[in-house]
Amino acid sequence: MIKVNKEDMDYVDGMTIQDILKIRKYSHTMITVIVNGQVVPKDSYPTYRVKDGDVINVIHMMSGGC
Amino acid sequence: MKMVKAKPELCTGCGACMIACSKALYKVEDPAKSAIRVKEKPGTGVKYEIAVCNHCGECIPICSVEAVYRAKNGAVRIDHGKCVGCYMCVGFCPHNAIFVHRDINETIKCIACGSCVKACPTGAIYMEEIN
Amino acid sequence: MTTGKILAKYEYQPAKIEKGYANQTLYINLSDRTIKAKPVTEQMKQIFTGGRGFGLWYLWNAVSGDTKWNDPENEIIIAGGPICGITQYPGSGKAAVVTLSPLTGCPIDNNVGGYFAPLLKFSGWDALEIQGKADKDVIIFIDGNKGLVTIEEADEGHDDTHLIAEELTEKYADSEEDKRNISVVSSGRGAENTLIGILNVSFYDVKRKAVRVKQAGRGGSGTVFRDKKIKAIIVKYKGVTGDSNNPADKEKIINAAIRLHREIFELDKLQNRMREVGTAHLVGIMNDYDLLPVMNFQYGSHPDAVKITSEVFREKYFTQNVPDNCWHGCSLSCAKAVDNYEVKTGPYKGQKVCVDAAEYETIAAVASNCGIFDPEYVIEANFYCDTYGLDTISFGNIVGFAMECYERGIINKEITGGLELKFGNAEAALELLHQMGRGEGFGEIAGQGVKRLREYIIEKTGADPAFLRDISMEVKGLEVSMYVSKESLAQQGGYAFANKGPQHDEAWLIFMDMVNKQIPTFEDKAEALHYFPVFRTWFSLQGLCKLPWNDIIPADNAITNEPHKIPAHVQNYVDIFTGVTGKNITREELLLQSERVFNFQRIFNLKMGRGTREYDRPPFRLMGPATKEEYESRAERYDKQLKELGYDIEGKTTEEKMTMLRQYRESQFEKLVDAVYKRRGWDKNGVPTLETVKKLGIDFPDVVELISRYRE
Repeated sequence: MIKVNKEDMDYVDGMTIQDILKIRKYSHTMITVIVNGQVVPKDSYPTYRVKDGDVINVIHMMSGGC
Repeated sequence: MKMVKAKPELCTGCGACMIACSKALYKVEDPAKSAIRVKEKPGTGVKYEIAVCNHCGECIPICSVEAVYRAKNGAVRIDHGKCVGCYMCVGFCPHNAIFVHRDINETIKCIACGSCVKACPTGAIYMEEIN
Repeated sequence: MTTGKILAKYEYQPAKIEKGYANQTLYINLSDRTIKAKPVTEQMKQIFTGGRGFGLWYLWNAVSGDTKWNDPENEIIIAGGPICGITQYPGSGKAAVVTLSPLTGCPIDNNVGGYFAPLLKFSGWDALEIQGKADKDVIIFIDGNKGLVTIEEADEGHDDTHLIAEELTEKYADSEEDKRNISVVSSGRGAENTLIGILNVSFYDVKRKAVRVKQAGRGGSGTVFRDKKIKAIIVKYKGVTGDSNNPADKEKIINAAIRLHREIFELDKLQNRMREVGTAHLVGIMNDYDLLPVMNFQYGSHPDAVKITSEVFREKYFTQNVPDNCWHGCSLSCAKAVDNYEVKTGPYKGQKVCVDAAEYETIAAVASNCGIFDPEYVIEANFYCDTYGLDTISFGNIVGFAMECYERGIINKEITGGLELKFGNAEAALELLHQMGRGEGFGEIAGQGVKRLREYIIEKTGADPAFLRDISMEVKGLEVSMYVSKESLAQQGGYAFANKGPQHDEAWLIFMDMVNKQIPTFEDKAEALHYFPVFRTWFSLQGLCKLPWNDIIPADNAITNEPHKIPAHVQNYVDIFTGVTGKNITREELLLQSERVFNFQRIFNLKMGRGTREYDRPPFRLMGPATKEEYESRAERYDKQLKELGYDIEGKTTEEKMTMLRQYRESQFEKLVDAVYKRRGWDKNGVPTLETVKKLGIDFPDVVELISRYRE
């Protein structure tokens, strides 16, 4: 089990940040991903593998007409 | 057209090109009003870097008032009558080769006149024919 | 349009702009044809800064608590602000438009692009204030080079913006070259025949060789404009340069501007692609996050939404590779357009037009909120809303609401005049739009807005008022803008408390609240609902657009202390304000400028007999599932929430669970109201306290007298 934005998510062996974003439908481009307090560089989302028990925060910035 | 090219390894940083340029463009001897810029480069090896427009024309579609155009001789020029001094072309120049000065409304950009080349004592800048 | 005789004429010496101010404003009374200059006092600058602040101050002095929107006392004020008109920093050409709204009865403010406010200022005027009513259609013309203002009779002529703006640009420009020096404010026949009229503010797009228009869309300012019998206001000023605003310290502006241009150059393609598709990029995102209004806000997404995303518009419709800005120097360039669009319906069928289409709000309102997923219908509806002078957001809400009432059998063809208002029926939606334009049939009734349409339906059908209130998406009489706030308590507050009515420009907190879960407590939410509305008010005091603040973010923003405030951009604003005015301000003082005007506007609502807690109450659909279908579409989420709250939902029906959830959510909302009012320095009834108005320096005798009437 991992935590994504304070909610539980099933852990799958080998899952990457990009997998998590896809499952959660986080398609907004203005996001920052923080794993256990460390910012993950954007270009490593497809390769960065999370571990079971990781705490992940995907911080969305506001944008658009809003 | 002929445009200014650089061999930074020959540059001594004397600044004669910037003086000549500002004189040609604005009739003043002020490197801050020059369209060519020589900057010290930290680290070893080549000591200076030279920024000057290569007339690639990427700034032409950036301008929303059609003040940037390609002149008959092939140089990319600014129409001072149309330019509203928005500096979008400055921020969007891929080579950081367009400059500004607080006292000048329009942007400061190379017109390929060759004044700087004539003033350079070492041959660090030269004119080259390009298509 | 042949211009008729000159009814009044005023010659003046155009003021030289000093540090962002012309230091005088232009007053026109259409009833007695007075034209005069008014000085801008230091006190006005100190307390109200400019733009919306000046607008509210003039309006406050012009109207009483009994004034109605169509009384001659009501004014339309158009004002830029001190930063307005600089050409370097993206988004610096905006006008604030202030008037008493026909929808809300309170002041409405809009922030609109186009060249009007900058050219007005360079013509020597910080604001244009129009009072009174003409007896026949008139045109107001301001020539900033000659120093001449005229009121002219508008004889026979066009009724709709796309023709009015084009004809007047042609007429008042000396040459093709001169067209860029002209801006026309106009509306259309729909503004006359409904309460949702907009103002279109033009600029000449030299690349497309077309007149473009941007909209002051919300709350019916176009309706007031046409009620005063103004056909158009034209300003003409030749000679805009990077120094026209005569700033105190240009260096400060240049540095911030080039930094931002560079950021946009490097990062926009990786972030929102505003230059490529504008705000339309949000359609797909909002659909993914279940936030896109679908079928009158019942749902937050739809499988067919892929047909109206920015990708579709980019590939098939938007004219590309043109820098679409609505004032000089805006490299964010979000103002997309469709060139050579052939109109398919209505009076302009067969004409080829340039449509300023389509923004996120418009796409969501006219399309998904009506269950229609057709991009060409979006362009058609966008074109007609603009040229008839109708607000796309209100229009989409009205149609969505009417369609839901029709589908639920609350209204039928007898009420709609034969229109089959089913979700997805684009033809019927367009017919309703043309009826609004003409002021005929069901369109005339619907054009009065969702609130009045609801009242009409209740009267005609005897439908359950409580249920209709639940599903009619308006607060204070204004229709809600396009975000589903059901699962974000903070956004429910952001909409419900907004001074002018539920428009997202005051606060947009859904991601922070619902997705990131950054503001979990009432205190956190209250802090966000204090800071963001106050901060966002600032743009409209200055003549600025908000988008360059948060639609592009610096690469290192994520590692700053408060990424959501975008500290580097806030610093840019401090720098450009100081650069323009020469007044050194801090970030705290920047907020104070806004807080004064924000509270003053709240008190203005009070003056108009509203502005208390009861007017901050949203329809239930803004807070949660108002119908069985909505509950069931998100049953998993709602069931889980109820269980976590300790409700026993075993064996309960959907209706029973809906009641539980409603009880809970309504109680949460009331707690939010308390927390926010407290943070803002207001009493439990939502009235700013004496201490607050004193602290802000807006304790004018009439303000103190007014709020004392509400003291508990």
